[in-house]
Amino acid sequence: MDQPLWLSFIVAFLIMNVLLGGMAYMTWFERKVLARMQDRLGPTRTGPAGLLQPIADGIKLLGKEDLIPAAADKPVFFFAPLVIFVTAIVSVAVIPFGGQIDVFGTDVNLYIADLNVGALFLLAFGSIGVYGIILGAYASANRFSLLGGLRAAAQVISYELILGLSLVGVFLLTQSLSLRDILDAQRANLSFGVLEIPNWYIITQPLAFILYLIAAVAETNRAPFDLPEAETELVSGFHTEYSAFRFSFYFLGEYINMIIISLFASTIFLGGTDGPGADTYWGLGILWLLAKTVFFLFFYIWLRATLPRFRYDQLMGIAWKVLLPFALLNIAFTAFARLIANGQVF
Amino acid sequence: MPWDVLIFYLIATICTLSAIGVVAVNNPVHSGVFLVLCFLNIAAIFVMLGAEFLAVVQVIVYTGAILVLVLFVLMLVDPDDLPEFHTGRPVQRYVGLLLGALLLLEIGAVILNRTVTGTSGTDTAASIAAVGGNTQALGRTLYTDYLLAFEVVSLVLTVGVIGAIVLALPERLGAASPVTRRGTISLAHPKDTDAALSPGPAGETPMPARPAATVAQPGLATAGRQLIMTKDPDAYTTPGSRRS
Repeated sequence: MDQPLWLSFIVAFLIMNVLLGGMAYMTWFERKVLARMQDRLGPTRTGPAGLLQPIADGIKLLGKEDLIPAAADKPVFFFAPLVIFVTAIVSVAVIPFGGQIDVFGTDVNLYIADLNVGALFLLAFGSIGVYGIILGAYASANRFSLLGGLRAAAQVISYELILGLSLVGVFLLTQSLSLRDILDAQRANLSFGVLEIPNWYIITQPLAFILYLIAAVAETNRAPFDLPEAETELVSGFHTEYSAFRFSFYFLGEYINMIIISLFASTIFLGGTDGPGADTYWGLGILWLLAKTVFFLFFYIWLRATLPRFRYDQLMGIAWKVLLPFALLNIAFTAFARLIANGQVF
Repeated sequence: MPWDVLIFYLIATICTLSAIGVVAVNNPVHSGVFLVLCFLNIAAIFVMLGAEFLAVVQVIVYTGAILVLVLFVLMLVDPDDLPEFHTGRPVQRYVGLLLGALLLLEIGAVILNRTVTGTSGTDTAASIAAVGGNTQALGRTLYTDYLLAFEVVSLVLTVGVIGAIVLALPERLGAASPVTRRGTISLAHPKDTDAALSPGPAGETPMPARPAATVAQPGLATAGRQLIMTKDPDAYTTPGSRRS
């Protein structure tokens, strides 16, 4: 099971670089899909089908002037964007991309760390990430930023609760918080006579999946829950005063968070690397995981292109009056079902 | 020196320094940031001790709670009051010092009692591994041996939640104390003439439409009168205008 530390570092290096590359092409993917949905072409000039656009954007952001407001709280202003970026990228450490594989006679683990509290680790880093938003908003000394930051704080605190509660049902079924155990538990098949379906938690926990999906969109501050950066009323919310590469840290953080949340959703509810042929070829498992993740990312963009933004009181009302009762109901129901399955009731 | 000892000392040093920073810096938001740093390092020490669940809960619960603290600072603390807050209350400072010393003595006594004379607990590494790990062992202990304490704590928290809801209830649901709203918020009529306006309805109902309230009052809705403002509107909203 254990592997030498240097090997873990190589795996971590590879995964994080792939993640950053994926983030860059996520922007391209979003622009392309959004454009198609609006009957446009999207980026076409830079490279074939605009494929070099993210690189050009990155260079442009690096070359821009770095503006700092005169009234800014400078130390906080400097490190707030880093908080959101670092917490986003560290979260990938617990996502399993498969089990153990054999590379040139050496055992390599296809994950960075198998924490026994992996799922909670992700939630914990999500809750630290909010500091990036609220501190950046405070440090900018701008009233639009502050309003955006306060909204973000209220929204993320509310929806983090839903996110955590929606996962409790899965934990109850797996009896573990480790993402690898959750992955292994989904590899078995449910059989109804002749019909064999994969034991993915989207089938046994459909309510939890819907709750997770809604809460995840709100957690990453994406449309239709993008009130913290509602450009029609708040300029652009908490990052109004950020420019050049400091702004791009917020940008990177948001997109990496989307990818992480999608990877997480695929792992927890859609069986992660599980799929036809994944047991024999580990590469196919990674492809399955990426395909499911891309599906979730597409879903994000689809939402953005389709739905108008919520009103602020609607946002809070949905979280506390609709989603929270359903989440608690799901937990109670799942716990009860497990007791019955164990033969401890009736 | 083994690596884990070095890492422990690094974490402990950052933790202590940031704890000092919490009380030493003048800006309350910076205090909050230092508190977050301190708690994160405590979580790291938990991880080094093999208590991953405790570490994650430390981050989710405590660092999450500081976020609310920072929000309170942003929304409620007036920067103008801060010099007095830090220097002008000797009683609080001495009481704080006394309580801190007392707490230190207590913790020292507990640690000494435990390590020098006490017996070790029943949980061993093997017994924890037998139930499936740290998280499971903690859960079992909490829901069997300490069930009553656990339930009492959750009851207290529920009372807190209900209290918060009651405090935040709008008047129409809480105890009926109808607040009469007068049309004084509007700047559209001259100062000191609100007594002449009809009293607004109580509670949550919207303000009456302007014509119904004013047309009945002769002499108020005269065209071309000057708008009176006590203060420049920007003075209420521009950040920094209160500070300097």
